[in-house]
Amino acid sequence: MLELNHIYKWVKAGGRRIFLLNDLSLKVESGEFISIMGPSGSGKSTLLNVIGMLDDFNEGEYYFLEEPVHTIKEKQRANLYKENIGFVFQAYHLIDELTVYENIETPLLYKNVKSSERKALVADILDRFNIVGKKDLFPAQLSGGQQQLVGIARALITKPKLILADEPTGNLNSKQGEEIMELFKELNEEGVTIIQATHSENNAEYGSRIIHLLDGSMVREKSETI
Amino acid sequence: MLKNYLKVAWRNLKSDGTFSVINILGLSMGLAISILLFMFIVREKSFDQMYAKKENIYRVLLHREGNHGEETWASVPAALAPAVKQSIPEVEKTARLLKHDFGGSAFIQANEQDFVETGLYWSDPEILNIFEVDYVYGNPVSPIDRPNTTLLSKSAATKYFGNRNPVGETIIVDNDKTLEVTGVFEDLPENSTFDANVIASFSTTNFSKNPSWGNASFETYFLLSPSTIPSDTEQKIQHILDKEMAPEDQWYSFTLQPLAKIHLYSAGITDSYSSRNGSITEIRNLSLLALIIMLTACINYMNLTTARSQKRTKDVGINKTLGASRKALILRFYIETGFITFVAILLGTILSILVIPVFNNITGQNLNFNIIFSFQFFMAFIAIWILTTLVAGSYPALYLSRFTPRKAMYSSSSKGSIASVIRQGLVVTQFSVSIILIISVLVIHNQMEFIRNKNLGYNPENVIAISTMAAHSGGNKNTIMNNFKVLPEVSEVSMAQGFPGVDVSGRSLYKDNATNGSTNIKTNKAEASTTEVLKLQMLAGQTLPAVKAEGDSLTDVVLNRQAVEFLGFTPEEAIGEKVNMQLGNNAYIRGVVEDFNFSSLHEPIGAYAFHNYNSEYEKFLLLRFNSSDIPATLEKFEKVFKETVPDSAFEYTFLDKNLEKLYASEQQTARIAMLFSILAIFVACLGLFGLAAFTAEQRTKEIGIRKVLGASVVGITRLLSADFIKLVFIALLIAFPLAYWISERWLEEFAYRIQVNWQTFIVAGVLALLITFATVSFQAIRAAIANPVKSLRTE
Repeated sequence: MLELNHIYKWVKAGGRRIFLLNDLSLKVESGEFISIMGPSGSGKSTLLNVIGMLDDFNEGEYYFLEEPVHTIKEKQRANLYKENIGFVFQAYHLIDELTVYENIETPLLYKNVKSSERKALVADILDRFNIVGKKDLFPAQLSGGQQQLVGIARALITKPKLILADEPTGNLNSKQGEEIMELFKELNEEGVTIIQATHSENNAEYGSRIIHLLDGSMVREKSETI
Repeated sequence: MLKNYLKVAWRNLKSDGTFSVINILGLSMGLAISILLFMFIVREKSFDQMYAKKENIYRVLLHREGNHGEETWASVPAALAPAVKQSIPEVEKTARLLKHDFGGSAFIQANEQDFVETGLYWSDPEILNIFEVDYVYGNPVSPIDRPNTTLLSKSAATKYFGNRNPVGETIIVDNDKTLEVTGVFEDLPENSTFDANVIASFSTTNFSKNPSWGNASFETYFLLSPSTIPSDTEQKIQHILDKEMAPEDQWYSFTLQPLAKIHLYSAGITDSYSSRNGSITEIRNLSLLALIIMLTACINYMNLTTARSQKRTKDVGINKTLGASRKALILRFYIETGFITFVAILLGTILSILVIPVFNNITGQNLNFNIIFSFQFFMAFIAIWILTTLVAGSYPALYLSRFTPRKAMYSSSSKGSIASVIRQGLVVTQFSVSIILIISVLVIHNQMEFIRNKNLGYNPENVIAISTMAAHSGGNKNTIMNNFKVLPEVSEVSMAQGFPGVDVSGRSLYKDNATNGSTNIKTNKAEASTTEVLKLQMLAGQTLPAVKAEGDSLTDVVLNRQAVEFLGFTPEEAIGEKVNMQLGNNAYIRGVVEDFNFSSLHEPIGAYAFHNYNSEYEKFLLLRFNSSDIPATLEKFEKVFKETVPDSAFEYTFLDKNLEKLYASEQQTARIAMLFSILAIFVACLGLFGLAAFTAEQRTKEIGIRKVLGASVVGITRLLSADFIKLVFIALLIAFPLAYWISERWLEEFAYRIQVNWQTFIVAGVLALLITFATVSFQAIRAAIANPVKSLRTE
């Protein structure tokens, strides 16, 4: 699915380079569920952003679905992630001014999906997540767990091949967190590739592979036998 | 998609109440001003456009060398029109206009009642072929060809005769000429330069008998045949002139001014009779001011939108990760801005309709709002909308959409960033403009005060001038003066051709022999006591003799200091000298008075003379009165006047009030500058208020931490205000030199003027700082007294 080869990313502080990602290589196969662990500042979010093409890197190669991300143009890159990647954030990042329904609908608007089709797609996903009753509420009127559900629903609406989740349960209590993890597991079983960054050992265990990061490098990798 | 954008725009509007109100209020005020101004410009541009032959109508201008450079008059000699008509075929029609009494008012008796008429023109009949009028009564073929005939406007006819048809009735002008009414025409439109209420036949006047090349008092219009080149005609006029007189006698030359230029492009042209004069400079200045206010409002919009960018950038970030392209986001911001400006335009239109009366009052204009419902306005509406949207919306659209999603979502406040530098630059611009306007208003005000308090060399207070044109026989004069002299309220009585503030006759004053040069001198036919009524200071000799014997060929002259200095005398030496100033061959200097400002303070004092040569009428009765009960005094004066001059209306003016008219345009400028300054400052304050609110909000956490660490409310207020005060100081630095330059240029128009002093700048600076502090501290204090626990709660 994607392959990172010797990725370096740094920022300059006082003339010195501080490495956020340091010689990081990673290969992800389709259908995997990967958990990235590591202390704060170890580069988890940076790695997810690089994979999600939200952020650049300074050195190295990145192939996504065989496309060389490090050489293609901005516009192609945007198309690539628009078509294939869904994001789930710790802080949900729902648009405050839009209702649940409209939040979920937004990615379809940007893909110029026809109105009737949009309605059908959004209705399906609301139904699946059991939030039909909440569709006209605004994010501020929902609990954290519900907001994150909407966030995931919004990430899934375009049927992405890859979901990137940055601490998806970080702002939730353990019960809500568990529900979200169960949902991820379910999605993974349906064939969606998932990469999540997390602090929680328990949540990490849902993954088929756990990667430990420290100071931008991979220190340990543990695979479960499927 | 569009629906979605509009929905988001509307919800943004609702969720940020304060910002929306500030944005919309500021924009709609700016737009209201623009709309008013647009209406004003449309009206000014519409002048004289209603005449079918407008393309071919020209006014003749006279150019001559005056004391202070070239002069241009709108009045030309009476002989010009007939001569041109006779020998230049492409001049199809010609018409001379003489406003009654050279621009004065006429006393009309009609239907056994007395009226004052300020719009009586004596005119050649072809004026009706040049400016075509519609007839209400009569459809006369040649209504004013014969002497003693007249046309009345509908409103004049109604005033004199009520609603009946007055054709065939007669009116009497100044107790002298009886005119037969031959028709009634629809009132000339308000935007016609030709503003006659009564058009009487020119052949009635003596000037028609032997038209001279000397007396240039006749506004003259030509209708040229189509496709004539005006400059050719001008050359042919010069040929006529060359035939009529030797080159050394040609003290003037003529040019043709197209009708379309008359209203707006006649600055510096004197001796025009119309009361409706526009000025392209005024239009330009007003446009500039309106543009500044509009820009200020747009700046507010940009500032507030980008100030909220922390919230908006997150929005942008999310949308970008969800797949929004930059183009889509730019479009979205434009649509949002377009939505807000649309609301603002609607509000602005309503606002402008509401303030039309105020605007009319302040600017002395006469706009009405019908024009708003025209196609032209609709197009302007669209244009203003698009323009405002582009100006106000571009910065947020281009700036915010540029963020990469990661930066947009995770970056924190951007202090010291380009955005905040631009924001501060915009605030500085706004405040510079406001400060310049404050200083301008102060300078204008000071200059007007200076004019009001300047020692004019005479005393215009408590002097009334009563028009006595209707008392035409000479014997009447003494009766009038004696009848008023006995009143206890009257301390001095005199009669004169004019008084300071109105124009009198212009002559030339020659040094002892004509080759030594001459200067222009204003001459005023006056009675002896005029110097007393005006309280002029005698420097030498005495005033005019009280009585002049019938048939006495001697002329007595009282000159001012300027005049005797031109002649090379001291006041004492001048007494008894013979003087050549076109007042007969036996004019002698009898007295010398100190200089006084006989015209406006725009001009330096020139030569002036009182005389008793038997040429002009003494049109005005001048009374110095000592009563403070003005209404009762006026009533008494009117009673005595009516008894003495039975068939005349009582028309009067106070000298000091009349003087104010000389500065009407400056007063208007002052009022307009004041109005616009207040608006500009208000809009700028709106912006500042919003920005302060934003800063306070952005720094909530910092304020909380500082408070926990022990900062006082005063300390925090100071902290938050300091940034803005700093900006105002920068604005002051920019504004001061500019304001100084602008003020100096405005003051150059006055021969007597104040110096721009540093106090003005101090006042403006302090004012700007106070306004800023008041605006900002409201937000700062609110932030400072907030409970720190709330602001420190984790997000």
